Amino acid sequence: MNLRVKSRRLGEETGVVEIIGEVDVYSAPQAKKVMHELVDGGATHLLIDLRATDYLDSTAMGALVGVLRRTAERGGWVRLVGPGPRIRRLFEITRLDQILPIFETEEEALADLPGEGGVG
Amino acid sequence: MNTSTRVDLRIPCLPEFVAVARLTVAAIASRLDFPYDAVDDIKVAVGEACTNAIEHAVLESRPQEEIEICCYLEPEALVIEVKDRGRGFDPALQAEPDILSGGGLGLILIRALMDEVELTSLAGQGTQVRMVKRLRPVSLGQAR
Repeated sequence: MNLRVKSRRLGEETGVVEIIGEVDVYSAPQAKKVMHELVDGGATHLLIDLRATDYLDSTAMGALVGVLRRTAERGGWVRLVGPGPRIRRLFEITRLDQILPIFETEEEALADLPGEGGVG
Repeated sequence: MNTSTRVDLRIPCLPEFVAVARLTVAAIASRLDFPYDAVDDIKVAVGEACTNAIEHAVLESRPQEEIEICCYLEPEALVIEVKDRGRGFDPALQAEPDILSGGGLGLILIRALMDEVELTSLAGQGTQVRMVKRLRPVSLGQAR
């Protein structure tokens, strides 16, 4: 399966997960594990970088909703960055874009967080 | 391609084979000259239908089962049937999709991306999702 998941921290509370390739029922557990590890490590805000995501299914969407619930319990959020039009459409069809806001760039997604990621 | 042609595919009811199904059916759709976006719709819908079958199989502890995917290449449409041999269920008793739990998203996507969707499930006989994607959308003039 063609999936790579990379993670990094932006300051104390924010983590970034980059999903590269295809994430589906087979590979979603790999992405889910990385997202939950960041939350376990203290991140309350997650940016999910979808700029290099070629395919994403409902299993991956369910994993995003699951990690959103965990961050929301701590007053945090999950935001999506840069999905292509096809993947953006899937979030619009399911109306998940209402709870997982979509931004074009990482800077836009962090605009209301002064001090995080050097954008404040 | 001006006559109906049938292509069948069987995959193990396992997550690692969903990509095989969706990519194979996408290749078939390409043969019918669907535009790129429509091929992508078909690919997602087939992936979701297979994923549903696998999730049922896991719940019912029968991962040794197969999923059967039948594609009917018709002059004006691609008809795809995805069948499993699980316990089946009563569609009328299915819970409403709940985006906050992430449940039911697959069926929402299938219904939005395909032109026709029919879900048939019989207790003890499994579930079939029949999906149709038309090569050219029916125009208002044709619909009258």
